[in-house]
Amino acid sequence: MFDFLSLPFMQRALLGGEMVAVVAGIVSPILLFRKMSFMSVGISHGAFAGIALGILIGISPMWTAIAFAMGLGLLIGFVSKTGKLSEDATIGTFFAFSMALGIFLIDMSKGYHPDVMGYLFGDLLAISSSDVYFAMIILIIAALWYLFRGRAAIYSTFDEDFSRIVGIPVDIDYYVFMAVASLVTVVAVMFVGVILASSIMIAPAAASKMISKRFSNVTLLSISFGMLAVFGGIAFSFYTNIPSGPSVVFFVTAIFVISLGIKWSKNFVKS
Amino acid sequence: MSKGVLFIDSLTVRYDHRVAISKISIKLDLGKFHVIMGPNGGGKTTLIRAIVGLVPYEGKIEIDGLNMKKYLKKHPIGYLAQRGAQFQSFPLTVLQVVEMGRYHFKESKAVRKKHARQYLNEVKMDSLANRSIGELSGGQQQRVLIARALATESKLMIMDEPLTGMDPRSQSKFYEMIERIKERYSLTIIISSHDVGFTTAYAENVFCINKHLVPHDEAAKLLNDPEIKKIYGSKIRLVEHHHLPSEEKEDV
Repeated sequence: MFDFLSLPFMQRALLGGEMVAVVAGIVSPILLFRKMSFMSVGISHGAFAGIALGILIGISPMWTAIAFAMGLGLLIGFVSKTGKLSEDATIGTFFAFSMALGIFLIDMSKGYHPDVMGYLFGDLLAISSSDVYFAMIILIIAALWYLFRGRAAIYSTFDEDFSRIVGIPVDIDYYVFMAVASLVTVVAVMFVGVILASSIMIAPAAASKMISKRFSNVTLLSISFGMLAVFGGIAFSFYTNIPSGPSVVFFVTAIFVISLGIKWSKNFVKS
Repeated sequence: MSKGVLFIDSLTVRYDHRVAISKISIKLDLGKFHVIMGPNGGGKTTLIRAIVGLVPYEGKIEIDGLNMKKYLKKHPIGYLAQRGAQFQSFPLTVLQVVEMGRYHFKESKAVRKKHARQYLNEVKMDSLANRSIGELSGGQQQRVLIARALATESKLMIMDEPLTGMDPRSQSKFYEMIERIKERYSLTIIISSHDVGFTTAYAENVFCINKHLVPHDEAAKLLNDPEIKKIYGSKIRLVEHHHLPSEEKEDV
């Protein structure tokens, strides 16, 4: 049944995909409870502009995607903090611009135009060893962030004023979190594409939020749901020959719908 | 430099050039129960946020002879903000919320939890320690936040409109609890309220702000002040109030 696991490209897809699920599961509950889910949409589109710039100037799109995504993430954070605009309004303003810029830059690049659809929808089965190493580095960064700043981030998400009073550097933590969340979004973009990255970033956390009452459980379930969706999605993609990115998104959405059903039935039983 | 007092001198707070409070100067004795009164929009919350260091201000705030900004870096204040809706669906337990008050202490997780339980016990909420904060009623949440404020081990506890949404009986119980805690931990309590009746029955010192400081004096004298009548209307009167009998204090 699991004979697909013997193929090297499937092993890479699975290893890389599972790491993306873990890093997304670590940061996404904070995004969700801060009502910043839309941020992953904005940053993934920012990453697309970065990828296009990399193609135009002939360097690895991964580095330019990181630079653009982190730049956009910090800009969104700064404007939201200082401009008295909500994150959603700021993201809504910038993400369409990033997409337009990406298309413009790709159009400007001479000669061979890479497959834009590949970047928009990703292909887990085409990832390289260096992509896997990149995911591993981001995993280490996200784990270190959670270890050292996770509790403070949960506290300031719950009650920002009181967190300031007990000495949590709320503003610094906010920008550090935006930078980490941007890196995680970039790795998600590299694996499942610009359009689908937000699904793997948010749906597992949204599903776990509905059925868990402890923050630690929300995080653990979010990681587990993401990993399950990646495994199921890749296997389904292999046996049905459909693209791997959308296949993972189908699974992650199915998990979300099941969680929604569990929540509704619980509420129904209570009432 | 004034020992034994919270000294506020010419305090002005502006939001985008709009003056929220202007040139407030006052001395509050430490170890007493003070109430800030005033109409909605009069600047009570702004004054409190300035004292606890959450908004920039012009002027001077000192506590026990120390500059407040320097004091706050070493001594977090037990602060209760106006109640919001943020607790409704947040997945933290009651115990975890109280643990927030121990953040600045360098202590193990076990010690942190032990202290948090102790303060929950103080407000008679230890039986609900493992419940989600969102599952509690407004009054219960308020008590958890008082436990969190106590957990900071601050000698100064400041509460912004803690009585909002409470019926008279709950307000009475709340004040009884605050009085008990104040005595037990030798606290200075500052509460903001726009309610005149209960406030004046319990507070040792009441002062009123409406952008600027109106008068401050003992509660009973305050009510006869013409400026107060101007703010609250001419029909203001002191409500006779009797403290709860001791058996009713048990479930506070």
